Amino acid sequence: MKRPVKKRLLGCMAVCLTAFLVLSIPGCKGEESPHNLISRTEENERVVSMFSPMEKSGENAKNVARSASDLTIMMAEEELGVTVTYQTYTAENYQEKSYDDVALERARNDMDDLYLLNPDTLLALGAEGKLADLSGLDSAKNLREIIRTANTVNGKLIAIPQEVVAYGLFVNVDLFKQYDLKMPETPEEFLECCRVFKENGIETPIGANRWWLETFVFAQAYADLYNGGSTEAEIAALNSGEAKYSDYMRPGFTFLQELIERGYIDAGKARVSEAIEAEGPDFLAGKTPIVMAYWGAANTETAYGKTDFEMQVIGFPSSRGQMPVMPMIGFGVGIDAEHKEDALRVLDIMTSDEALQVYSEKNRVISPSKNVKVDCVPALRPLNDRIEEGVYVLGSNAGMKMEQWGNTCQVVRQLLDGATVDECMAAFDELQAETLSEKPVE
Amino acid sequence: MKEKPNKHKKQGISYLFLSILLVFCVLGAIVYTISREISQKMSEAAIQNVSESLNLLQCTIEAILHSEIEFQTLIAQELAGQEDPEEFIRSYEKNRMMSRVSLILSGKTEGLSSNGEIFTEEELDFSAGRTVEGLPVSQSYVNYMGAWAYTIKCPIERAGQEIGTLYAEYLYDAIDEFLPNGFYNKQATLYIMDAGSTRFVLKPKGMGQRDAGHLNLADFYQVNDIRDTGIMAEIAQCLESGKNVLYYHDILDEEALNYVWPVNGGTVFLVGYVPVAAIQREGQIVNQNILFVVFSMLAAFFLCILLYYFSWRQQEKIRKERERERNIHSQQLAEALRAAQVASESKTMFLSNMSHDIRTPMNAVLGFATLLAADAENPDKVREYTGKIMASGQHLLSLINDILDVSKIESGKVILNYEKFSLSEVIASVEAIIQPMAQTRKQEFHLERTDIRHDWLIGDETRINQILINLLSNAVKYTPEGGRIWLRMIGLKQRSSQYEHIRIEVEDNGYGMTPEYLEKIFDAFTRAENSTTNKVQGTGLGMAITKSIVELMGGAIEVFSEVDKGTLFRVDVELRIMEGQEAPEAGESGPEPEEDGSLEGLHFLAAEDNEINAEILEELLEIDGASCMVVENGRLAVECFQQAAEGEFDAILMDVQMPVMNGHDAARAIRALDRADAGSVPIIAMTANAFSEDEKAALAAGMDAHVPKPLDMRILKRVVRQYVKRKD
Repeated sequence: MKRPVKKRLLGCMAVCLTAFLVLSIPGCKGEESPHNLISRTEENERVVSMFSPMEKSGENAKNVARSASDLTIMMAEEELGVTVTYQTYTAENYQEKSYDDVALERARNDMDDLYLLNPDTLLALGAEGKLADLSGLDSAKNLREIIRTANTVNGKLIAIPQEVVAYGLFVNVDLFKQYDLKMPETPEEFLECCRVFKENGIETPIGANRWWLETFVFAQAYADLYNGGSTEAEIAALNSGEAKYSDYMRPGFTFLQELIERGYIDAGKARVSEAIEAEGPDFLAGKTPIVMAYWGAANTETAYGKTDFEMQVIGFPSSRGQMPVMPMIGFGVGIDAEHKEDALRVLDIMTSDEALQVYSEKNRVISPSKNVKVDCVPALRPLNDRIEEGVYVLGSNAGMKMEQWGNTCQVVRQLLDGATVDECMAAFDELQAETLSEKPVE
Repeated sequence: MKEKPNKHKKQGISYLFLSILLVFCVLGAIVYTISREISQKMSEAAIQNVSESLNLLQCTIEAILHSEIEFQTLIAQELAGQEDPEEFIRSYEKNRMMSRVSLILSGKTEGLSSNGEIFTEEELDFSAGRTVEGLPVSQSYVNYMGAWAYTIKCPIERAGQEIGTLYAEYLYDAIDEFLPNGFYNKQATLYIMDAGSTRFVLKPKGMGQRDAGHLNLADFYQVNDIRDTGIMAEIAQCLESGKNVLYYHDILDEEALNYVWPVNGGTVFLVGYVPVAAIQREGQIVNQNILFVVFSMLAAFFLCILLYYFSWRQQEKIRKERERERNIHSQQLAEALRAAQVASESKTMFLSNMSHDIRTPMNAVLGFATLLAADAENPDKVREYTGKIMASGQHLLSLINDILDVSKIESGKVILNYEKFSLSEVIASVEAIIQPMAQTRKQEFHLERTDIRHDWLIGDETRINQILINLLSNAVKYTPEGGRIWLRMIGLKQRSSQYEHIRIEVEDNGYGMTPEYLEKIFDAFTRAENSTTNKVQGTGLGMAITKSIVELMGGAIEVFSEVDKGTLFRVDVELRIMEGQEAPEAGESGPEPEEDGSLEGLHFLAAEDNEINAEILEELLEIDGASCMVVENGRLAVECFQQAAEGEFDAILMDVQMPVMNGHDAARAIRALDRADAGSVPIIAMTANAFSEDEKAALAAGMDAHVPKPLDMRILKRVVRQYVKRKD
């Protein structure tokens, strides 16, 4: 009889204690005034403004790429107690200012703290001294050397990426098999494939937009420069004016010209098309066998992450075989940003090994940190294998005095607009001359 | 008839379920009505709530616009007072609200901006004709800072004459500074949309998901899957007229209240949505709690029903069990009643039979006694009559013995007296009794004995004898003259080496029995026929006694019979084999029976209170040459013996039930006397108390032997001879 009484007593005590705890919880909120019901927590809110592009989302779909980045931002917010606000801009059409234009203007006017910048914008802002030096961040120590080199301007590390962006050709393997075609290695093989597609009723074998056709040019232009063993000497020659960019660029432009002339690329459509928006639907529908895009597009459902056919991502055709093109995009912090210190801290966490592991696993991309390795999706293996072999060209290089990514894009647009290859080469010569005449910003 | 209760029960259950269903339907209807009303109210409240919030935001932005106009007008007035307005413009420094100011003097197409650049109105689009307080507002654009901006132009008047136009560029980001940091717990999405281009020019901080950055209204429609042309047309109309639209549309599968809300009569619009859950958060919590309570109550209700059902089932089970027990009891009671009635009837019948059966020999006794008195002089007649009186007396005696036997068996007082006996002798004695009876009825009596390995056995010889006599006398009785009777003693396979397994079969080809009678043949007080209608005499107790004795011996009795064909009684018993006996040959004789002794010359002291019995005793002893001194009670017997000379009496014949002093006390008193022969004089109990316990009581009182009444002289002689001889 004693035991149940004891148990009952313990039960009552437990209930009383629980009730006491529940009642006492509101009392533990802190030093709030007992009379004023307003929470003071928001008054000291620290904010970091981040300017980054926003891909258009599908119906009722979440943006996966942004979601992965979000995870790392949330890590930073949680750790630092700051709030990162997003600013974005997307051009409605080709006549409007591009993202890069707006990014440049915003950075120049210190509108935001943290920017996700494309290679040309990065180098431009770096050259103008508008971006803070990130070499002091802990995360910078983990960077692969190629990343560090490509993002260093005037001795300052101006950007750190969350992924190594590699561009490649996204091909519909089913269509290649259907016409008994091998994956093209050289420009000639590529032209042959296009011929076969064209003859078989595929009017425009290559889906293009106004941004990424330059990748064909880079693959042919710099295949030897980056993979021939004399990279530094050749870049030095270009920087000194001994060598001309136009000599490197000509084969690629001639090749593009041929693609346009043979009708493998619809130049009229390409020059007014935004990336993926225009060529994506036909590629996904199996009407276009070849498009060009960046690595992450193979992982993103809003891009080419989910196809009804077998897809592979291969390098661009070059004399040295399939060639991945890697421009360096990355996050930079405004040198005069209003919340510079917080922005630096946020970036440090966003690009830490821990955050990059999360990011890379989510997006299945190549990590800029030498400590983070993640398996890629099967479609990306051909491209990944080339990168692992060390065979690739850079789409941007801070070591080159003349900005590559943006300038080449602009010149390609001239080609699309009807300029001849010679005119385009003249434009390169002019750009090179301008660059060489500029004084470096200290 | 049995199905009726089940049908009623099923109907009852159906009605119960229907009632419960009805109650639930009514409750459901009430809850549905109430919840619908609540939902409607909540919906109305939500619409009102959102409208109020949007009105607040609208007013805030309009206030900003008005303050901008006020500020710009002040600058214009300031400029009007300046000698060199362009210098004033150049000196203006941008801030987060007004990114630049520009001036175009009247009559010129180009002017100057505060950032030092040449300014023309062509850069801006005032074609939509939107104004704030009468001042034109441009369409939104991305300015030189990469930020969404709009420009308001204001005339600069000096002395009532317009000297130029002031263009002030405002950043949408500035508006964000004055807006709350999110609303509806940061779950609402808000964009500020330029009316002309439908571009989204600002997403204020904390308003909406960070990963949803919409480009313009078309993008908003597409991403949020808004395809209802009606809604889209209404929104288009609203953009034209500057009216507001509020509509329900699910965003990411979540019910949301979407809105397009004009600011400043449609200069810009607030576009976005608020998840209904965010608006009705408290209401939903209340609803959830109500639902929780309702479900808890329902669960409790069903639990109660379940418990009630289990309890009811348990009760029902107990009730059924009790009913079953009651039925069994009732059945048992009914059977007992029936048995009691049968017993009562049987006993009535028995009494009737007994009355008849006793009166018949009694009639003979009295009748012949009367005849004897009349013919006392005629010795032949006297002998004939006395013989018949003796026969009738014997019959009466057997009747009484049977009744007493049954009485003892029923009260469980029968005790078997195990003694050694010879089976051959038993058979011989039985044969000696039955054979004459059979011969009298001209029947053939056959005796067969097979496979019995031991003759000397241990058992109650008297009772075995009784079994055989009962069965055989019945056979004789119920077999017509000329019939045949068999007695078979069969040795069965021994189950134990210490016991002889014997089967006794008594078969006849007599009248046989009906199956109905066979069922109650072993019941007491039954007889195939009423003795008043049948000439066969008997108590009807024989078979009951036989069965009881057989069972008392651990055996079993069976009967097989067919009317007019005959009857077979089969008794199986096991009798202990006497130790040291090597299966004597059949027919080997045991110890010789003692012969009846003569009473010649013996002198007895008899204590007998009944004068007739005393007289009979005196006469019988006298016939056998013995003499007797009779006293009336035990006291006198003691005194008489005390006064007599030693050896005067050869034995004392002591009745038990006597006045003054009974036989037992008298015997004890005699044995206690202080004289030499007090312990040795044979005292023989002679009493109508004929049971074995009476015998034991007599022996315990110090008497030597027990002779039952009615007096059988042969027994008396044997007993007297035994004790007198021992005395000698």
